[in-house]
Amino acid sequence: MPEDPSLKAYQIIFQQESLYTPFLVSVITTALGTLVGLFVATIGAYVLIQKDMPGVKIISYLLMFTMIFNGGLVPTYLVVRDVGLLNSLWSIIFTLSMNVYNLVLMRNFFEQIPESLFEAADIDGCSPIGIFIKIVLPLSKPALASIGLFFAVAAWSEYFHYVLYITDTSLYNFQVKLRSLVLDDQSMPAAQAAGVSAKTIQNAAIIVAIIPFMFIYPFCQKYFISGVTMGAVKE
Amino acid sequence: MFIPVFAQLWVFHYWPMAGIRFAFTKYTPFIQPQYIGFDNFTRLFNEPRFWSAFNNTLILSIGNLLLSMIFSVGIALLINEIGNAIAKKFVQTVIYLPHFLSWVVVAAIFTIILSTQGGFVNDLLVKLGIIDEPIYFMASKDHWRGIWYFINRWKETGWGTIIFLAAITGISPDLYEAAEIDGAGRLKQTWYITIPSLMNTILVVFILNLAKVMNVFESVFVLYNEMVYDVSDVIKTYTYRVGLQNNDYGYSTAVGLFQSVVSLILVTGANWFSEKINGRGIV
Repeated sequence: MPEDPSLKAYQIIFQQESLYTPFLVSVITTALGTLVGLFVATIGAYVLIQKDMPGVKIISYLLMFTMIFNGGLVPTYLVVRDVGLLNSLWSIIFTLSMNVYNLVLMRNFFEQIPESLFEAADIDGCSPIGIFIKIVLPLSKPALASIGLFFAVAAWSEYFHYVLYITDTSLYNFQVKLRSLVLDDQSMPAAQAAGVSAKTIQNAAIIVAIIPFMFIYPFCQKYFISGVTMGAVKE
Repeated sequence: MFIPVFAQLWVFHYWPMAGIRFAFTKYTPFIQPQYIGFDNFTRLFNEPRFWSAFNNTLILSIGNLLLSMIFSVGIALLINEIGNAIAKKFVQTVIYLPHFLSWVVVAAIFTIILSTQGGFVNDLLVKLGIIDEPIYFMASKDHWRGIWYFINRWKETGWGTIIFLAAITGISPDLYEAAEIDGAGRLKQTWYITIPSLMNTILVVFILNLAKVMNVFESVFVLYNEMVYDVSDVIKTYTYRVGLQNNDYGYSTAVGLFQSVVSLILVTGANWFSEKINGRGIV
């Protein structure tokens, strides 16, 4: 049963410098992961809808094939090692952002844009990149919101790739930190010295890990749901 | 502009495929790859740990899949019966939520609840006199799978209802009107109209997920521990341990390749089925 409810645990959590860095890492990788992810998904999807560009079919097959077959955990690890991305947050950001599933969702959305708009812009002398920036992106705001949120949630929740690619503890994100707090009761001596039990700290850390999401969730729910039904139910 | 995307695709997806050759080599951080033919596969098929992981993968994934179908469809039907729009929206908001919690957070929550030292569940069971001593649930071979199924359902059932709710909205209201005129109550309408209309969606979702049974990983990775490897270790966690904790690159690539090939067969099969049922493939 709770005794003496107080916000002391949060005070202590916010005073822990050992938690600042993981939180900052989480914020940075979430922001970058979402941006790079949207860049990859929109550019990739835009290429896929260029029906008359030579080689589009091949690119499309190359993308789809990765959804059904991959080199596996260890070969991927060896490649990341060989390109020198071990112990770099870019390994996390690039792995997150190259999400073929999201790319295909984006393509499905782009395909709904009326062809005549592209033709009209083309006749008016707009370049393909101009069309992308001036027509496709502004018309795709709902899809950008949905898919951007999927990237953001995935980036915020990322855990395994840190364990896999990163050994430098100063580059760990909040999830990894939370995990070590839960598995190891003694990991925050400063807090215990201040008279707050390890369990209280664990609970407070869980709350900190989910709060950013709780803030945006009520406002964004419809985008999450449209992201699911966008690719699934076609009637 | 597509070049960076293509580079990324190449580095993270196609270059690793070339690494499949290591499955036929002896390769650790200290020795360069040496070609040894199919020795890794012979070792694999004679390794009890591998078969245990293979069985666990199937038991956990397929059990979870069946439970997910039953619960998601059932709860979608129940939500559909809520008349009040605000109440309905509220229920949906609440049950979708756990989907967005990371596996680390979920594991943290349940580790605390199930802990032997002041964990809520053990406290309650001891006070009610059902058990004398707290049980270390996460390390108990008898309880681990049940808990894993439960946590998975707690996290994902709500999210799984979205697709069925969307499909229910698509059912023609004429059908219900006709049924009402014929004197069918809510229960009969559900049984004779809603469920049959959902059959196609149910089948497609089932096949799609069946294609992914080999992929189970993170939920196990954050919840298992050495004491319950026998009932919890799956192919991917096994690959990770031998490959990156024991650094046996060659052998673990072989394990990974086995998994990828089984997955490929499953997905291709699922695609074929989906084309038959739906007239369109899944990939």
